[in-house]
Amino acid sequence: MKLYRPATILVGVLFVILGGITRLAAPDQVHDQPNMIAVRGSIGEPVKYGGDSTVTVVRMKVAKAVVEENHEDKPFETDGVFVALEWDTVRGAKAPGNIGATLTADGGTVYTPIGGLTDSGIDFPDPGFAKTGSIIFEVNPTDFKGLKLILRPSMFWNVLNTYAEIDLGVPSEAVAQQMVDEAANEYVLRNSVVRVASS
Amino acid sequence: MESLDDVIDAMIADRVIHRHRRKWLIAIALVVVLALVILATGGWKEKQGRTVPTVTAPTTVTAGKWEYSFTKAEIRRQKKTEYSDAEAKLRVYFDLKNIDDEEHQSDSLTGDLLRWVPGNGEDLVDSNGATCRGELNWVLVYGLPPQSCYTEFKIPADFSADMVEIGVLGEKYEGDDSLFGANDDPYWHNEAPVAVVQVEKPVVVEDKAGD
Repeated sequence: MKLYRPATILVGVLFVILGGITRLAAPDQVHDQPNMIAVRGSIGEPVKYGGDSTVTVVRMKVAKAVVEENHEDKPFETDGVFVALEWDTVRGAKAPGNIGATLTADGGTVYTPIGGLTDSGIDFPDPGFAKTGSIIFEVNPTDFKGLKLILRPSMFWNVLNTYAEIDLGVPSEAVAQQMVDEAANEYVLRNSVVRVASS
Repeated sequence: MESLDDVIDAMIADRVIHRHRRKWLIAIALVVVLALVILATGGWKEKQGRTVPTVTAPTTVTAGKWEYSFTKAEIRRQKKTEYSDAEAKLRVYFDLKNIDDEEHQSDSLTGDLLRWVPGNGEDLVDSNGATCRGELNWVLVYGLPPQSCYTEFKIPADFSADMVEIGVLGEKYEGDDSLFGANDDPYWHNEAPVAVVQVEKPVVVEDKAGD
């Protein structure tokens, strides 16, 4: 039996050339993840997330301690400050996927939500419903300026994903300092509430 | 078309294989038996001496993105009750600081970065992570001062010692090899031993069930 017939070799060479050509044809991506839609917004403004769902950061509260509603545990304390973001999500018909939330500041620190709280996080209710809740971060008060909430799902490479950036309105050191100085003694984390979407 | 030479070659090859078949079978069986014996006697383990420095608590160890200041250790015993066996845990206290200069990201300590070294060549035991502010896997923020935390290891119920050894592993900030198509962006992984911390005289504490 002859293994290396000219046609076999030709097909092999053809595959190699095809591989090279497809690499040449790929456009130079400006964004290194071509399956991400980047959305920007600011606090108080609904941001489209994953098709026809929206996320709104309703308000931001700064506190020195966090306690959960209906829990008798002693409050969580910090050497920094806690930043609580109260949000409102409306779920559209298309499944928006889960949300991974991080905070970033101008100084380059990346804050992730604190653990130990059962009801801290951002998620979507069922289609046609809206949900309100809070997510809590522990933040270094010396890197507070330019706080931004970054929302992105855990990645699936073959689906179109949303990368949302929500500016939380801390434009200068002075504002940051003022917010830290005026931090409440305690923030009460309320349970999230689901209701029928109004519009 | 096959030539006569090819046919003869094939015949000879056939004969040769058949003539030595028993020897081959015996050789293969021997290899299988050897593998089974090695497996049954505990595997092929490379015995290595300690290659990292040994330090004595109280001490500060920097490993990867974490800075630990070890202070003390406790052996917490739980008595046998009607519904549970006697058990013991080794609790090691330390101040933990997030020094992630690469990503500046908040994170919690993963359990496999601290390991109890039982000695006598026994396997190392992973910790359960760090408990800070009364919360297991507390997220530590980069840039904030150290937090006092502790970690726990499962130990034999009758364990006692004058000194316990904790292995500290540090992750490296590096990317994977992109040769086979993996993303080569660096991230924290590939933990390697950094130091062994000896904590003298662990205090024995009676622990109530459910604590």
